[in-house]
Amino acid sequence: MSRSYLFIPGNTPSMIQNLDVFDSDVIIIDFEDSVTSYDKDSARTLIKNFLSKYSYDEVEIFVRINSYDSRYFHDDINALANLDISGYVLPKASVKGIRMLNKLSNKPIIPIVESPMALLLVEDIAKEKNVVALIFGAEDYTKELGIKRTLEATEILYARSIIAITANAYNIDAIDTPYTNKDDDKGLLLDATNALNLGFTSKASIHPNQIDIINQVFAPSLEEITEAKRIVKKSEETNKGAFSLDGKMIDLPIIEKAKKVLEKAKKYNL
Amino acid sequence: MGVKNQKIKVINHIDELFNQIDISSNRNISFHHHLRNGDYVINYVLDKYKKEKVQGINLFPSAIFPNYSSILDLIKNGQINNITTNYINGPVAEFITHNGLPGKLKMQTHGGRARAIIEGKSEIDIAFIAVPYVNHFGDAVGFLGPNKCGSLGYAIPDSIHAKIKVLVTDNLINIEIPNPEISGENIDYILLVDQIGDTQGIVSGTTEITKNPIGVKIAKNTSILLNELGLIKEGFSFQSGAGGVSLRVTKDVKDIMIKKNIKASFFSGGITKYHVEMLEEGLVEKLYDVQCFDLEAIESLKRNKMHLPISASRYANPENKDQVIKDLDIVILGATEIDYNFNVNVTTDSHQTLIGGSGGHSDTASESKVCIIVSPLIKGRIPVIKDRVTTITTLGKNIDCLVTERGIAINPLRKDLIKKLKNTKLKIYPIQELASIAYGFTNIPKDIVKRDKIIGEVEDRTYEIIDYIYQV
Repeated sequence: MSRSYLFIPGNTPSMIQNLDVFDSDVIIIDFEDSVTSYDKDSARTLIKNFLSKYSYDEVEIFVRINSYDSRYFHDDINALANLDISGYVLPKASVKGIRMLNKLSNKPIIPIVESPMALLLVEDIAKEKNVVALIFGAEDYTKELGIKRTLEATEILYARSIIAITANAYNIDAIDTPYTNKDDDKGLLLDATNALNLGFTSKASIHPNQIDIINQVFAPSLEEITEAKRIVKKSEETNKGAFSLDGKMIDLPIIEKAKKVLEKAKKYNL
Repeated sequence: MGVKNQKIKVINHIDELFNQIDISSNRNISFHHHLRNGDYVINYVLDKYKKEKVQGINLFPSAIFPNYSSILDLIKNGQINNITTNYINGPVAEFITHNGLPGKLKMQTHGGRARAIIEGKSEIDIAFIAVPYVNHFGDAVGFLGPNKCGSLGYAIPDSIHAKIKVLVTDNLINIEIPNPEISGENIDYILLVDQIGDTQGIVSGTTEITKNPIGVKIAKNTSILLNELGLIKEGFSFQSGAGGVSLRVTKDVKDIMIKKNIKASFFSGGITKYHVEMLEEGLVEKLYDVQCFDLEAIESLKRNKMHLPISASRYANPENKDQVIKDLDIVILGATEIDYNFNVNVTTDSHQTLIGGSGGHSDTASESKVCIIVSPLIKGRIPVIKDRVTTITTLGKNIDCLVTERGIAINPLRKDLIKKLKNTKLKIYPIQELASIAYGFTNIPKDIVKRDKIIGEVEDRTYEIIDYIYQV
């Protein structure tokens, strides 16, 4: 139930030192794409030392490790053993990769669905043990399809829809792909709103300056909070599974949804 | 005092000027810094003093920039005795840091400099005033001409109160200048030169809005703070410098103003394109401009009637009854260091090297209703908060809030602000606690400050010496 997931390269002390100031609900420390092969070991050392000394209450920390079939996978896991992290982000999502990770750790896993094959198997991926969310990785996905990204994002509409539906069906978070133009706030707002309307619960980001907009889009609005309060109050007063409010029928799914809104509002101090 | 609309004597070469004036008995000389790193006049004039081997020079430039190389030559030759200025950066600053002067370095504020000149505390023999647009009557403005530099604010007191006033120009015209910044009735000579400077060199440091995430976070905290204090309201007045974070605060304040349909009464100080944009969008009534920080601000002085060039005295002289900043609600300022008593240093770095100076820092902090310091909590690997700053530029009693990316400290003297923020969601800490957060990352750096030999002093706008500068 987080709104924002911010990737921070694992080899940048200045960013790591400030990971809790960017207002992202979740930080994903990256060992994969943003860390070159000759810097993988220094990233592991930095993060091991840093997280051994500092802990955080207000932000969850995940680490994107290298994929299960890379030569870095086991070293990444070993470096993170005994550290107080919330879980792993696993690139190139596959059932095999998740199972391999589950053999080495019992921590939550967020796979990145970033290939046509992963999309076809997304339900199997979502069902695996310890999977708590799905991230859509549109850059690699479109690269594999050999298609270009566009502002309208029609080329990823189907993939987005499937991932959001699957995550919601299995009651796990649906995390949308990052919006890569870091200086385009209007574009980000539109892109995040589109993702929200497709059923995503949150969005990943690769730049801290995007977090405010993402948090704003994926947080319940004041109107939604007020409405949710009324629904929950009436449901408690009537003690019925279904009732009428302002001429509209309210039933259990709507009550549950309202409770989620209030839970989110409480979590984010709204 | 001269006569209005009387032609001023035009001199074609500096040698000719000193045929008429005894150079060795006019050793207290002043310059303005409006051309900043694009200035050719300072080096041109001082080369003459160098050539004539004039000893015991007392220099009164409003600021010293890295390209003012002739000052360094004169210091090394032992020809300069004292320097009184508001800001010093570059090779001259480094040299003085390590070697001092035969006399002393006095660091004043912009308002304090104007006051000292007007009251005769700073006695200037000759003011050499670079002007890009002047007529034969000695009337001049700074925002016209091929080498324009914008407002001439810091040169105005010199142009009235120096014993001899020399306008130095490359653009002498024959038409009347309405509302001149410098009035010809005070001027003694016009010295013609090939070029007073290069307009492109005037742009001051960082004049772009920061995109650095830490800077963005500091600005966000600041705008929320201002909003929660109820300071962004109809008719409020505001000043921010040209630093990236200050400009980001200005942008965030602008967003709040648009959302709440608020119009400000004035912005003051150094003006940038962002302030001009807000004037032209009808978000602020007036810009009081004592210096232009970029070329867009200079162009605006030409076309916007409510963009008003003002003198340093009007801007910040505490004895000037029309002082603009006495009506200033909010000022956003930077800091190299701040201490537990909220004293701020923008004069030296933590190794005691001279890197700046007050400018209008202490002036605006003293007069504004709320003075906010914006700074990263840790700069590189050094915490911005210390138990005692290396050099006091602005007294802590005039500083109200410190805003960092990790939280905010309010000066305990401002009980009213603390009360207003009782229910805020902002992270407010005692300044010592904020320092402890930084020390958690850096530990407490060892104090390396040397206090053996005094080479200069910091004079506040009240004439009080608030700290000394020591040789490194």
